[in-house]
Amino acid sequence: MRNVLSWYFQRITGALLLILLAAHFWVEHFMSAELRRGDLSYQAIHSRIANPTWQFIDIAFLLVALWHGLNGVRNIILDYSRIGRRATQAISGVLVVAGVVWAWWGIEAFRNL
Amino acid sequence: MKYLRQFSGQTAQVVQRVSGVLLLVYLFLHVRTIHELSRGPEAFDAALLTFRNPLFKTLELGLFATVILHALNGIRITLIDLGIGQERQRRLFWVYSVGIGAVIFLAGAIPLVLAAMQRS
Amino acid sequence: MPVQLAEQPYRIRITRSAGEGIAKVPQEYTVPLEDRMTVLDALFRIQREQDASLTFRCACRVGMCGTCAISVNGIPRLACRTRIRTLDAGPIQLAPLPNLPVIQDLAVSLDPFFEQWKRIRPAFRPKDPESQELARVPATSAYARHTPEKRDCITCGICYGACGVKSTSGEYLGPAAINKAYLRLMDPRDIAIEERMAPLNEERGGVWRCHTQFNCTAACPKGITLTDSITRLKRAMLSPRKFEKL
Repeated sequence: MRNVLSWYFQRITGALLLILLAAHFWVEHFMSAELRRGDLSYQAIHSRIANPTWQFIDIAFLLVALWHGLNGVRNIILDYSRIGRRATQAISGVLVVAGVVWAWWGIEAFRNL
Repeated sequence: MKYLRQFSGQTAQVVQRVSGVLLLVYLFLHVRTIHELSRGPEAFDAALLTFRNPLFKTLELGLFATVILHALNGIRITLIDLGIGQERQRRLFWVYSVGIGAVIFLAGAIPLVLAAMQRS
Repeated sequence: MPVQLAEQPYRIRITRSAGEGIAKVPQEYTVPLEDRMTVLDALFRIQREQDASLTFRCACRVGMCGTCAISVNGIPRLACRTRIRTLDAGPIQLAPLPNLPVIQDLAVSLDPFFEQWKRIRPAFRPKDPESQELARVPATSAYARHTPEKRDCITCGICYGACGVKSTSGEYLGPAAINKAYLRLMDPRDIAIEERMAPLNEERGGVWRCHTQFNCTAACPKGITLTDSITRLKRAMLSPRKFEKL
């Protein structure tokens, strides 16, 4: 069951990312006149990111993207059976650790504001 | 690799994987940039200025193209996985993923380039 | 550009080797082209008139047995069903079927192919092996309506040779084995489900290694929609009980 759920989840997270990306792009580049002109500034971004709702959406975006991307990398590795079961497991472990560290690092960016 | 010319389903897979890995690299750089926010307004605004130079703008266009390709091909793959369009899978790739992707890319890239040229 | 009709000499470049792991060497022959000549015809010509050491397989020579599967200009095909006139002008490149160990020249061993084939328990497993009754499949059943074209597999190995994943994954079942498993699972008279699900569900070698390249579907000489079988099985893994027979 784990394999089929993982397969479905890659497609579901893909669809989610489409929505989250569209929302993120709109918020960052089209939501205000200032942004539409391309005048990104510390003020424009900081004021939005201080808001916990936006933080939640941005962090969700990051976590979904990390799962989708690192699971994708894992599938690339699984296609190369010649590297053996042990090596594959080791690389999967590295990917999990990388994902956790990366997620924590991303969330830290909000806490340091 | 020899089938790339004949069977474009394999080309689609390679495109999906390469674009996916590139996007992961971008994600890493992006999170790093957001961390710059914590260094205060002057440092952040200075960092933003470096993104205005033509090299970065070109990379941005590359990012845009990569996202569109990966997203549209991802939709195509999901449709195929659901059993839709398998008889047309080759056309789905070249006409929809690549063709419509190019249209969307131009729709976004041309205003972006014009705005950047106007500012400099 | 297709070659012109008339007795034109035709260049054929064959990748030869004395066995697996031994260096592959291209050797070129020239064969006069005759109407309706197939690649297999050309191979016989070369063997009889020019080089008796050339090794290749064939049996029925009419596209029924699947024995003569080789790589023609980079694409796995049946030699007996490839008319030379339909190929591009220029030396025709012949090579052994990919992803399989070479025995000699164009003859490969299908052992790995059949090892994977056997893993999904291809034999029919009826509910009552002692039964004397005819086991009918109603014409209106899903099996009868949906699977006829998928039953034409001649185990030629072309899909196995065409698959891009097979070139990197020795553990992957391959399209033919998965298609066969799909047929058995769909058959209302066949009761073996669990033991087929196990190899199909494997992370490293099961259906999950398929990435819908469609090489198999494009190359299959019988026109079986292999990728369709594999994707249907992937979806069915969510609810394997659907294969349970009443």
